Amino acid sequence: MFLQQLLNGLTAGAVYALIALGYTMIYGILGLINFAQGEIYMFGAFVAVLLLGAGVNFFLAFAGGMGAAALLGVVLERVAFRPLRGSHPLVPLISAIGASIFLQSLALLLFGPNDRPFPIQFTFSTITIAGLPLSSLQGAILLAALGFMALLVVFVRYTRYGKAIVACALDRDTARLMGVNVDRMVALTFLIGSALSGAAGIMMAIYYNATYPRMGLLPGLKAFSAAILGGVGSIPGAILGGLLLGVAESLGAAYVSSGYKDAIAFAILILVLLLRPQGILKGRGD
Amino acid sequence: MSAYILHLAILGGIYIILAISLNLIIGYAGQVSLGHAAFFGIGAYVSALTSLVWHFPFPLAALSAVVFSGGCGLLLGLPTLRLKEDYLAIVTLGFGVIVDLVFLNLEITGGPDGLAGIAPPRILGLSFRAPGMFLLLVLLLVLFTLTLTYRLVNSYHGRALRAIRDHEVTAQVMGINTPAYKVAIFTLAAALAGMAGSLYAHYITFINPESFGLHTSILILCMVVLGGMGSIAGAVVGALALTVLPEMLRQFKAYQDLVYGGLLVTLLIWRPEGLLGKGKLSLKFISRE
Repeated sequence: MFLQQLLNGLTAGAVYALIALGYTMIYGILGLINFAQGEIYMFGAFVAVLLLGAGVNFFLAFAGGMGAAALLGVVLERVAFRPLRGSHPLVPLISAIGASIFLQSLALLLFGPNDRPFPIQFTFSTITIAGLPLSSLQGAILLAALGFMALLVVFVRYTRYGKAIVACALDRDTARLMGVNVDRMVALTFLIGSALSGAAGIMMAIYYNATYPRMGLLPGLKAFSAAILGGVGSIPGAILGGLLLGVAESLGAAYVSSGYKDAIAFAILILVLLLRPQGILKGRGD
Repeated sequence: MSAYILHLAILGGIYIILAISLNLIIGYAGQVSLGHAAFFGIGAYVSALTSLVWHFPFPLAALSAVVFSGGCGLLLGLPTLRLKEDYLAIVTLGFGVIVDLVFLNLEITGGPDGLAGIAPPRILGLSFRAPGMFLLLVLLLVLFTLTLTYRLVNSYHGRALRAIRDHEVTAQVMGINTPAYKVAIFTLAAALAGMAGSLYAHYITFINPESFGLHTSILILCMVVLGGMGSIAGAVVGALALTVLPEMLRQFKAYQDLVYGGLLVTLLIWRPEGLLGKGKLSLKFISRE
């Protein structure tokens, strides 16, 4: 029972971590929260479901959903963030909230309020490892999520573009003086963060077998809490925060109260802000 | 028809109080609250419960609503307002979700069914059941809110708040205790929203969690941004416009949220100061500088 809950928590946590990476990267480079991250997650899931419904191969549909989410992120940056750069920090924040409501209600109009099941049924077996029943679906989601995270870490650490993004996050003006095209790096950050959120959306659509316009709201908020928990602006922090939050939520729902499952993430958020606002691994939060 | 106009006027008055109180947080202290409807809801539920369970008279029920939601604002503001403005947005959003869950899960709040049969206000034997009388009560409280905020923002404290909004570090250097100011204004705004909630509960006489969700928080935010952040007249105009317009455009109800979202983004890009400019009534928006 306990181990089962732990596994459920890790699976949800891995997905939160993927979204949290988007938040933390964008916060790192621009110092602002992209409130529409949850809607990008929803959009990725919807595009993948629609592509699968049109008979596209699963891996192509997965890539298509990620690509569509990435595109939406870049468009969002151009429309709702870039024109407002340099204004009072309140202004892009409210603009992002506006974009989030806009996208959510657009999805509601286009796709209707009902849940859509995932078009393909996978037959997943349950493997028992050392007395622990592991569903291969959970295993696949965990592996895929960890794979994406590893790719991101390698990209940021070892490639020219990754280092340029880090340089922009450390000091935008100096990076510009060193010949880094800051606007392009900001767009690239949105592209990568949004693609990861899109992948998270597709995985959750498979896991819960449901896609609906408001699906991004709570995971988006929880992922943000995860980013704060780990230390906002820190990539390992986002991963650690996401996994911890997923486990805490799953155990809390099992042993404390299932009615308040969605409140656990926010209670943790408020506690972290009270006790250690810089997060577990020190991020840039002050 | 005139009864319908009275109804709109009463709702408009309640929204004016909400918009003015949120405007204190956004326009004067420079913070974003996305859970303003939660304080509105807390006020409504506290007022309804005290009058239903303990048979409090209306003034006492309203007062307990104000005190209780103000207290919640204080408790929420203390840990978060020391930090950057983005944190408050997320924490208040989360607070909205938690409050919604509490209303849905508690037994005393009636769960999803809510509470019914809340008595219309009665003060010193005078009944405010008739819509005309209720409007009078709402107008009095709107006037009270307007006077309070007007006196506040034009005082030493109002200037301190605007200094915090424009540049927090400079304000600190000038010797302004910025966290104390932010917490105080957040508490005041929460208390005012609680008052609006109490009015709402005793006017509609039936409340359920649906009226106090994220949608309402966003609506109040739209009112503030539309009218102009940091303008009292703007908050009034924004609240009235967004109470009346949706009624006139009933057949497009499905597009309402789409319009609100688009409105926020386009307004901030093209006219971030809102319809009415910074702090004072100006008709510049007609000539479009």
